[in-house]
Amino acid sequence: MALLFLWALSGPCLAAIDYDGLFRQSSDLMAQGDLGGALDLLGKVPPPAAGEEAGAFVSSRMQAARILAAQKEPDKAVAACREVLKLFPDNSEARNFVAALEQQLKPGWHTVLSDTLRFLPSLAKGALMTLLLVLCTMLVSPLGGLLIALGRISTVRPVSGFCWFIIWFFRGTPLLLQLFFIYYGLPSLGITLAPFTAAVIGLGLNYSAYLGEIIRGAIQSIDHGQMEAAKAIGMTYGQAMRRVIVPQTYKRLMPPVGNEFIALIKDTALVSTIAMVELMRAADQLFNTYFNITALALAAVIYLVLTTIFTFIFEKIEYRAGIYEQR
Amino acid sequence: MNSADQPLLKLKNITKRFKSLTAVNGVNLEVSAGEKLVIIGPSGSGKSTLLRAINLLEEIEEGAIIFEGREVGYVMSKGKRHLDHPRAISALRAEIGMVFQHFHLFPHMTVLGNVMEGPLTVQGKSADEARSIATDMLVKVGLSDKRDVFPATLSGGQKQRVAIARALAMRPKLMLFDEPTSALDPELVGEVFDTIHTLADEGMTMIIVTHHMGFARELADRVIFMESGNFLAQGTPEELFSAGQDNERIRGFLNRLL
Repeated sequence: MALLFLWALSGPCLAAIDYDGLFRQSSDLMAQGDLGGALDLLGKVPPPAAGEEAGAFVSSRMQAARILAAQKEPDKAVAACREVLKLFPDNSEARNFVAALEQQLKPGWHTVLSDTLRFLPSLAKGALMTLLLVLCTMLVSPLGGLLIALGRISTVRPVSGFCWFIIWFFRGTPLLLQLFFIYYGLPSLGITLAPFTAAVIGLGLNYSAYLGEIIRGAIQSIDHGQMEAAKAIGMTYGQAMRRVIVPQTYKRLMPPVGNEFIALIKDTALVSTIAMVELMRAADQLFNTYFNITALALAAVIYLVLTTIFTFIFEKIEYRAGIYEQR
Repeated sequence: MNSADQPLLKLKNITKRFKSLTAVNGVNLEVSAGEKLVIIGPSGSGKSTLLRAINLLEEIEEGAIIFEGREVGYVMSKGKRHLDHPRAISALRAEIGMVFQHFHLFPHMTVLGNVMEGPLTVQGKSADEARSIATDMLVKVGLSDKRDVFPATLSGGQKQRVAIARALAMRPKLMLFDEPTSALDPELVGEVFDTIHTLADEGMTMIIVTHHMGFARELADRVIFMESGNFLAQGTPEELFSAGQDNERIRGFLNRLL
């Protein structure tokens, strides 16, 4: 109501002087709760003649539409908007309002279908960005995780200490905070990153820390005899790790790493806070524009599709990675 | 002393401690080229530890390992003993083959891949060369028909023969067998012994830790009885296994096994 009131006050500044009084009076009536009276007054603003200032007309019809919508008279509200659209077909405010009102008039499934078609392009764009973020992080974090894991089991104290610190820090603080720090905090140190770069660095570091612990566990779960056998034929530690130990961790890694990557798909939603338009942000924008829950429901479906596809892929990889264990 | 006279391996005063336990207690040993040495003794007597110390899988506290007349494995720096540079240790291990009780085949590689791995990765041979060496070794242990399967599909005896082929592919000068048949079903022991026998006949120098006295008697040039980290007795199989063995400990041990 307060918003309507403010809007009503600003209206007269744009309007032709002739209608100034009408607005003021309608605002007064609205403030008193007499919406019917306000409507009557707004209806008295005529369409502009050729070359005449149109602001007052548009404003009054839109104001009337709002009041009608609030009075649960969507048909009349649409009619008021259409009067504006007849003269100004590109008026986005009127169009959005009509679209929103039509939701209330149409039967349910039809509404959902048309919403879906309307929202899908921007959601698909967002989903593509989400997918790109996921793929980049999936590329970076296993490498980072492997380095952290090898560092953790290193006998060189400073190295294992440093890797312990990385894990301690990135597992112990919220990802959201890390993203904020990287995107909003680093510029004060003279490092300014593009949102996408900041997002991949933040997600990459965070997931490297988690994967590091998972990979360390997998490496240490490999029978100690494997390392001894590798050393016994003359392999160095590095050769034994690369050729013998790490390849055997793949199958054991897949279930927990799959879990992490599924979590990652959903965690990418957090980067919407650092000016990235991905799936969550796209859905949020649609929701805030149309006040339409379908946008959010569609986002949920797309997230489910993504996680299902990745789950399927991880299962295939796990099977392939363990094929040598079959008798 | 020229190289023909000197022993292939010489151990001087080898001592290995695990915290308060002394697993190997100042052992001296010489193994000449072509010799087949069998070490027997009760569990926990230090046999395996001694074997593992030879190819530096265990770091010893005292003593020296002399391989081909050269002291190996350890260096002195700032008055303290240290393991030698990893490269030097790997180079030594590449010349000493080792076969483990539990095989420790690489499960993610095929049989051929297991045997190729040493020549390929350690010796830097080409894939073709490594494959040809590995194929020869698999023929030698009688498993060329299994070259393309994964270890999981093999029997215990076959696994151990692949492990022997893997060690042989490095063309070692000395083979160490750490209870090679202890993890096998009785009916599979024979095929592994036959394989080791073939190697012995070819003149391979070997040190074998085993609980199979029959095998020790048949194969060994010399048998050592080890207990509590010390060599209690050594001699030819005839001397050690004779009915007139006067050492009560050894007689008791043998009676329990035979």
